Amino acid sequence: MTRRVAETSRRRPFAPYEADWGAFAPLRLRARQVAEGVYAGQHRSARRGPGVEFGGQRPYVAGDDLRFLDRRALLRHDRLMVRQFETETDRSLWLVVDASLSMGWRGSGPGSKLGFACLLAAALARIATSGGDPVGLVLVGGSGRSLPAAAGREAFERIVWTLEAERPGGDLARDPKDLERALGTIHERARRGSIVVVLSDLLDLPEGSARVIAGLATRGRRAWAVQTLDPDEASFPYRQQARFRALEGDALVETDPEAARDAYLAALAALQARYEEELVARGGALVRAVTSDDPVAVLRRLLRSVGGGPGPA
Amino acid sequence: MSFLTTLALLTSLFVAAPVAAHLLRRRRAGEQLFPGASLLSATPPRARRRSALEDRALFGVRALAVLALALLGATPFISCARLELLRKDGASVAMVLVVDDSLSMRALHTGSRETRFERARSAALELAAAMQPGDSIALVLAGDPPRVALAASSDRAAVGSALEALEPSDRATDLDGALRVASELLEALPHRDRRVVLLSDLADGAEGAPALELGGAVELWAPVPELASRSEVDCAVLHAELREGRVDLLTACSPGAEHGGRRLVLREGETILAEAPAGSRPGPSSLRLSKPVASTTELWLELEGDDAIDENDAAAVVESGTEPAIAIVSDAAANRVETGGAPVVEQALAALMLGERLRPLASLPDHAEELAPYAGIVFDDPPGFTPEERRALGSWLEKGGTALLGLGRRAAAAPLGAGFEGILPGVVRRAATEHRGAEPARCAFFGPSAAGLADLGLEQRGTLEHAALEGADVLCAFPDGEPLLVRRHLGRGTLFVVTLPFGVDDSDLPLRPAFLALLERFAEAARAGGGARRVDVGQSFSFPGHAKVEASLLPRRGAPIPMASNERDGVVRVAAPRAGRYRVTTSDGEELRVASVAARELDLRPRALAPSARNPELGGASTRVDASPYVAMLLLGLVALESALRLVASRTAARASAQHRGASSAAS
Repeated sequence: MTRRVAETSRRRPFAPYEADWGAFAPLRLRARQVAEGVYAGQHRSARRGPGVEFGGQRPYVAGDDLRFLDRRALLRHDRLMVRQFETETDRSLWLVVDASLSMGWRGSGPGSKLGFACLLAAALARIATSGGDPVGLVLVGGSGRSLPAAAGREAFERIVWTLEAERPGGDLARDPKDLERALGTIHERARRGSIVVVLSDLLDLPEGSARVIAGLATRGRRAWAVQTLDPDEASFPYRQQARFRALEGDALVETDPEAARDAYLAALAALQARYEEELVARGGALVRAVTSDDPVAVLRRLLRSVGGGPGPA
Repeated sequence: MSFLTTLALLTSLFVAAPVAAHLLRRRRAGEQLFPGASLLSATPPRARRRSALEDRALFGVRALAVLALALLGATPFISCARLELLRKDGASVAMVLVVDDSLSMRALHTGSRETRFERARSAALELAAAMQPGDSIALVLAGDPPRVALAASSDRAAVGSALEALEPSDRATDLDGALRVASELLEALPHRDRRVVLLSDLADGAEGAPALELGGAVELWAPVPELASRSEVDCAVLHAELREGRVDLLTACSPGAEHGGRRLVLREGETILAEAPAGSRPGPSSLRLSKPVASTTELWLELEGDDAIDENDAAAVVESGTEPAIAIVSDAAANRVETGGAPVVEQALAALMLGERLRPLASLPDHAEELAPYAGIVFDDPPGFTPEERRALGSWLEKGGTALLGLGRRAAAAPLGAGFEGILPGVVRRAATEHRGAEPARCAFFGPSAAGLADLGLEQRGTLEHAALEGADVLCAFPDGEPLLVRRHLGRGTLFVVTLPFGVDDSDLPLRPAFLALLERFAEAARAGGGARRVDVGQSFSFPGHAKVEASLLPRRGAPIPMASNERDGVVRVAAPRAGRYRVTTSDGEELRVASVAARELDLRPRALAPSARNPELGGASTRVDASPYVAMLLLGLVALESALRLVASRTAARASAQHRGASSAAS
């Protein structure tokens, strides 16, 4: 049973504050190092459809373009098959970075969760722009800014500059509509084939956020989520009895960490399972990361998931 | 205790306030920012239990401070029981502290775990601590015989160390003698205010004796009345001798008490060799042995069970030997008793159960060698001595014999040439007297039984010439100064001379308690002078003919205690302050001797005391002490301690808070 303290329900929200970049600064250089460690050169599109290079066959379904009907297969096997082609395409990458108050928190990790998320986002942008793909940016909480998808070096620089200037702020738990409003940009601007990567701790988000995030994977888009946690959030190593206060929402719990640890870890696992279930159902995946992880390894896991199709990463 | 004192002390109940505050305190745990707080569940507040441990010192200090505050309010009214001397016009005082170190003082002080002796000594120390310049204190011990432990001194440290060195003994009590010694000490002092402070349970075995008091300018003060208690009774094994197949023993109890239900146990170390129920009445008895028992220094006969004094419940068992006997020279025809039986003096000696063998003799032997087996000789109105008898008797006395001579009609009619010349100079005469008895005040030798000597129903008495009194002690006298009892020292020996015979036809002396006291003292002197193997505690073992003697007490438990020897009248003596077995080494070899508890010391009933000895103007046991300054200092110290504790606690909290802030980078 969670014990809430009454006066905290009227607590004023925390003001935005400077992010603790810690070991993740300077962002521009660190992002380049990470990106070079992950990927060099152009990537192949995972999208199958109209193109110049044969990509296999599949059974015909009503509505398929009759131009791609494989007549030889019809004559040989008496079955309606359509031919698929792989094509090199400029699919856009949309980065959704959670810059709410909780992301600015730093426990025993090398920097804040926001810093780690920004590093991953910048590295992804670097990888994408290096391949000529356009990259868009949406900040949830914080300044709430968004950048349209654009390709080229300037786009990367703009994204890095925006991320570096970001300060944690905003309480997503207080207004469940904030997240939906922020993600509305994706729904409006991201075209079919776009890949959406959400970088968030997923902790202080309102109820139903898993469905909202997974909802990005519609209209030909695919969505992945990278949960960035501090090591303390992943293991809950505290020993002294304390009143634990959330940075977003009104949660204030007095508890004995030794006694509450198992229940906390179980609740965290349940939360992750809920997001994973929603994302996998829409062809995406949830990538778990803590700020003490090697960002190169995290991105490789993410890219492997993106390249290898839906499923847990 | 006054109402205000009670009220002030009642405020100490407010010590419950810090307790209540401490119990009601609900210290909040520190706050920690944590984004995943919504996933946490609350647990019981373990931290509050920890805070209780952390604050224990502070709580203790605060509770002490409340108590000190209450005490501070009450201190002007608090009294501290401490003996204090009240001085006449503020003048300096000369005091003799008479501390009773007898066996009865080993009993527990009423209502406490402290013995009477310890209480008496602490009272003496309190008086010594109140000494002022000009005061003089002497120390006399009232155990028999009375001793001066410290001559008059104005040095407080000397008095204190002398008192600290005191130890209880198994001696009998001689209050009259101690008071006499104390009075003599005070006579030499120039102080106007002279007092004898009696610290005793007054149990000297003479409950019915005249009340203790002092005459003249010396005042008697007994400042610790609670030492005298009538409620205790005690039983003891006086002595025990190992004979063939049995142990002969003598038990005694306080008047009216019996030892029925208790058991007699013969032990060698911790091993029980024989046991039997003790008879209900005290007295001589035997313990049969089922197997031979060797005489060792570990052999003790114990009377099991509880009573007032434990130290006298066991007696050392020694092998029976040839004890010096007491001879009674009496003319059976002349001293015939109408009811039959032995002469009165012989019957009286037998009734005292002194332990010595009694030998009636028709006449005195002519040779000194024949007198050697006797430690004492009683002469009941002898018709003079022949020259041979005088020579033999004189020689025997010179060697340490003790004789008791009763002078009556026949002694006064001794023919010329057959008198007492040589041992009692001059001629013994007999004359009529108008005094019917002696003056008790001049008969301190008899102790409390002296009162019975006031009327002896006599018409005639013996008289001695002046030559017989030269160098002699007149131990009891008639109102006109004529002696009734004289003690003469002849060489190493002692001659007691009574100017009345021991028959009932001439006087009532044999019917008086003083007669038994006389015989008892005579037997003690004979025992001590004749080299007896067993003496009463307080007396000395004597070793005629030995120049060097080493002696040590063999206690029941513990190592042997060396005893000092001294020489008196040319005889080496070793005093026996404690009951038990003594190992003595002389030029003849090693032997064992025994000191026994005196039966009269078992009478724990206190003797009467003159009312003036309780006069509150002499001093008292209650004096008020203002302890406010000390309590105030304590309170100040507690306040400082509390401040220090709070400072330490706040620094610790600040350090913990800084660590907490470091762990969480969130800032509001």
